[in-house]
Amino acid sequence: MSNFTIPVGPLHVALEEPMYFRVDVHGETVANVDIHAGHVHRGIEYLATKRNIFQNVVLTERICSLCSNSHPQAYSMAIEKIAGIVVPERAEYLRAIADEVKRVASHLFNVAILAHLVGFESLFMHVMEIRERMQDVKESLFGNRMDIGANTIGGVRYDIDAERIGYLEQQLAWIENALIEVVALYRSNGSILGRTRGIGVLSHADALECGTVGPVARASGIRYDVRVKAPYAAYDRLEVPVHTLPDGDVWSRAMVRLAEAQTAIDLIRQCVRDLPDGPTTATTERPSIPAGEAIAKCEAPRGELIYYVRVGESPKPERVKWRVPSFMNWDALRIMLRQAKIADIAIIVNSIDPCISCTER
Amino acid sequence: MIMPASLEMRLAEAAASGIRYTSETDAKGIACAWCTLARAEDLLPAAALLKAMDARLSTITVFQPKAPPAAAVAEGEEAPPAPTFLGGDVANDGSSYEIDYHFDLDGDTVTLVAHVPAGGAVDSLTPLFRGADWPEREMMEIYAVGVKDHPDPRRLFLDPGIEGAVLERLIPLSTLINSATTKGLWEKIMAQTGSPT
Repeated sequence: MSNFTIPVGPLHVALEEPMYFRVDVHGETVANVDIHAGHVHRGIEYLATKRNIFQNVVLTERICSLCSNSHPQAYSMAIEKIAGIVVPERAEYLRAIADEVKRVASHLFNVAILAHLVGFESLFMHVMEIRERMQDVKESLFGNRMDIGANTIGGVRYDIDAERIGYLEQQLAWIENALIEVVALYRSNGSILGRTRGIGVLSHADALECGTVGPVARASGIRYDVRVKAPYAAYDRLEVPVHTLPDGDVWSRAMVRLAEAQTAIDLIRQCVRDLPDGPTTATTERPSIPAGEAIAKCEAPRGELIYYVRVGESPKPERVKWRVPSFMNWDALRIMLRQAKIADIAIIVNSIDPCISCTER
Repeated sequence: MIMPASLEMRLAEAAASGIRYTSETDAKGIACAWCTLARAEDLLPAAALLKAMDARLSTITVFQPKAPPAAAVAEGEEAPPAPTFLGGDVANDGSSYEIDYHFDLDGDTVTLVAHVPAGGAVDSLTPLFRGADWPEREMMEIYAVGVKDHPDPRRLFLDPGIEGAVLERLIPLSTLINSATTKGLWEKIMAQTGSPT
């Protein structure tokens, strides 16, 4: 058998965003992968220091679309920590609802793409149809389908009344029923299992070594979820089960995401059930932000998102740094792809649910 | 939520040149500790201690802290020496770098803070924490900071043809797209393609 080096990307039909993989193959088997990043490096961290503290709530939401809510949430949490702002309880629950709505839509998008890459187009379209219901929820509750603008420093920018809660519960019931059927398919269908079981394996030890986070880590048996380990918003008052699987293959990562989508529905219901009355922001005035520095973390759909913010005397922050979950998971991809078949490259890459816009900023 | 009470003492033992340690716990019981190292040479032993405690490197932040306002000097008096970070040998003059290594300890956060002068270098943590690889490569291309003994010190996001330390200087968009002005771009196109008529 011959050795070849083949390029995958940066523009490739199976990649949602540009990334270049230089793949050394021996026959049909991957021997080594080198990842070349930088195609959507936009310098947003630099830009964040040229906007004032409040403008950055809007800017950070535009880093990425799928986990767009997590960025302004973690950024706002860091600023609130610096300023000693106590977020009202109702706003904490509303933040958790927004977080979980986005999680359902994000996870379903990823498992839908998996079906597409397997060639199971009817399943792909069916899962996207379910996700579309959550897109409708976003549009109805927040006014937007992707960048939902839910967060502000000191609370949230949206509220829900009895009528909207009724609509939300109706949609959740539909999505929940549809998901039961979908989960059973992913658990038993021969086409799905044949292309995902034992493929792209990341062992527990390797997952720890790479510092992986989110569903990628949990599918390799790492029981870490920011919502449980470092609770924020209303998560300290919610029952958040952490889903883990031991095998670390493509299938396990998809099943963890599906389980988390189902759990997210339950979490939204918990929030709606316990939603306290009260204001949705700490203050109606623009709060004064003193000099200081803080770290905030939240569980974005892809895993731990961490923000560091440092504020000086200027209205513009001196430094805003964030590290998205995908940033840690790319390295694990090199291990997952080792000894993989060329035909499985796209499926394995998709299984880390990579976000390149987030990674490169 | 397992940050041991002895962490400060153990970090002080690991970092022989001295530390400044602060920690706080938020309303939800999550602790956040900051450990500033008097000398960046103590970074490796301090990081090794955290590794032994099963810490995970979350990320690395680099920035240039602004210099504190200069003290007023009376006429005839000699200006005091430039302040340094934590009594170390790195000047706090606006040109030096602060490098924050954020570690996760089962939900709590510990940040090791090291200071290096512009053009200086710190030891690589990649041999200890595989996840330091990309953040250190990014650090090297964005700032005038080197990383000693990094196993793969190639560019991460930026093309090798671009001069390093890009956050050190203003690069106008017109320069970035290889034309001084919009008019310049038009003239350049005209020079290559001829008259539009």
